[in-house]
Amino acid sequence: MIEIKNVTKYFRVGFFGTRKNAVEDLSLDIDGGKVTGFFGPNGAGKSTTIKMIVGLIKASKGSIKINGYDSFDYRARLKLGYLPENPSFPRGLKGIEIINYYAKLLNKKINKNEIYDALKLAGIFYAKNTQAHKYSKGMTQRLALAVSIIGDPEILIFDEPLSGLDPIGRKEFKDIIFKLKERKKTIFFSSHVLADSKELCDRIAVLVNGRLIKNENLENIEKEAAVYAEEKKEDRLSGEYNTPLEVYLYDLMLKNRKN
Amino acid sequence: MKNILYGIMYSFKEIKNSKIFYSFLIFALILISGSYFVSQTSFINQGRIMVDFSIFAISIFNIFIGIFIGASVVYDDVEKKSIFIGITRPVKRTEYLTGRFLGLAAAIIFSTVIMMFIFYFVLLIMHKFIVPVVPNAGAVVSGAKSAHNNFNLQNRSAAYAAPNHPFTFYMLPQPLIIQGLFIIIESIFISAAALLFSLVTSKALASIFAILIFFIGNVSSRMNDLVKPVKKIIKGKVVIVNQANHILTSIVHFIYTVLPNFSIFNISSEAAYKLDISSGIIFYRLIYGISYTVLLFIISSLLFARKDIS
Ligand SMILES: Nc1ncnc2c1ncn2[C@@H]1O[C@H](COP(=O)(O)OP(=O)(O)OP(=O)(O)O)[C@@H](O)[C@H]1O
Ligand SMILES: [Mg+2]
Repeated sequence: MIEIKNVTKYFRVGFFGTRKNAVEDLSLDIDGGKVTGFFGPNGAGKSTTIKMIVGLIKASKGSIKINGYDSFDYRARLKLGYLPENPSFPRGLKGIEIINYYAKLLNKKINKNEIYDALKLAGIFYAKNTQAHKYSKGMTQRLALAVSIIGDPEILIFDEPLSGLDPIGRKEFKDIIFKLKERKKTIFFSSHVLADSKELCDRIAVLVNGRLIKNENLENIEKEAAVYAEEKKEDRLSGEYNTPLEVYLYDLMLKNRKN
Repeated sequence: MKNILYGIMYSFKEIKNSKIFYSFLIFALILISGSYFVSQTSFINQGRIMVDFSIFAISIFNIFIGIFIGASVVYDDVEKKSIFIGITRPVKRTEYLTGRFLGLAAAIIFSTVIMMFIFYFVLLIMHKFIVPVVPNAGAVVSGAKSAHNNFNLQNRSAAYAAPNHPFTFYMLPQPLIIQGLFIIIESIFISAAALLFSLVTSKALASIFAILIFFIGNVSSRMNDLVKPVKKIIKGKVVIVNQANHILTSIVHFIYTVLPNFSIFNISSEAAYKLDISSGIIFYRLIYGISYTVLLFIISSLLFARKDIS
């Protein structure tokens, strides 16, 4: 489905344009029909990786292929839906106008009912005639989700889909992801909320400081977590983190962090 | 193709609803309507003052629209990240850029046409500067005729229009219509420059550069004429006299050659005297503006295709 091979991305920063690596030598295969969770602390390079996958930024080294097409080729996105982090829409247009426009840019005919269904599923149907720049953060997030699932794409790339949502919204979004999972969609989503991992994912990838430090099945990683919890013998389950998996992931990130 | 079309429509709608666009438009309309009062300050040639004033207002506001929206139409989209969803649909980046640019071009055409219409109505009410169209003669007075025989034609048509036709249809004279067309071309041209600059620098710098280019492009031919060596007859002999030193001459000449010449789109003096513009001149200037615009757009498009959008 999605093959990321030895990808490095650096940005040029400062006056002299010195290179700063955001992602280093990342290789990752995202399997079809599975939900892969992409975890990591702030600034780990999750969004950078996702933007490379969807063809917004170009990898400095390495290659990314989606269904055999290079990620900068528009055909790579024929069956791809993308939900950016902190989505934003042009001013002055209504929600319905926006989703209509994006639906037209797909390579197939989308009828009105499909658009309404997507809006209803994302829970923003009621506000379809409001201008999108007047939406709250959560409403914007919902519209962006509706846009990303329009046309029933096979691959869904969500960058922090649950951020900015209220508890009800989080539950609804998770339910949507479950539904998509049942329909065997390939889902790749980033998050820093470790509690999201167990509920949703088949597979977990952990990125810290631009390096991939873990890429495992949920079962395997849970086993590792159980072993880790045995070794530690600390009772830390009471605080912020409630399961051995969360504690394990937390410690993994903490250990690998540079600063 | 289909994607570009939707892009144009979407972009046009967005620009049309933007504050900057309609504030410029409304301001220009106020000025055009106000040209009547300006013309009242003079006893002679009020029509000419109205034309000069209104054409100036129409061109300057469309150029402003071209520069400021051209510098922001893609820049803001990237800056506010509203580009993310559109450009990650299965569309080519060039299609997106074309849609944005042509949407802006459509907005410029739209605003120029509206302004010209209001201008026309003001002239119609004032009954100044308009030419009658004679239906039965089949000929529109303001055709593409040379300035030479224009005067005869006008006299003749005025005679035609008088008693037999109670409903005479009046039109803008040909040079004014051509001036409107040139304003469109010129504004789209400068917007292509602003768009190109906005891809490599900030919005503010891009606008400033575009204004500079426009300003220099307007005076460069006159500057070039000023510093060009001239032939003079001194004591019965023809001698070539340098009007400025060599370095200055070559700098001015270089600027004149490299930067686009915008002054060719300003035909307000011809318009003011109702001198028809020949079709050769119209054609040549249109081709000049359009090919320059296309060149700028191709460069923008090459830059944009590889740009990191984050
Ligand atoms: N356009 C850019 N120019 C320079 N540096 C950038 C750019 N975009 C990202 N970076 C840097 O790349 C690194 C990774 O950023 P990225 O946005 O991918 O992190 P993230 O994992 O998504 O973090 P978060 O969880 O906060 O969203 C950061 O150090 C950031 O400063
Ligand atoms: Mg991020």
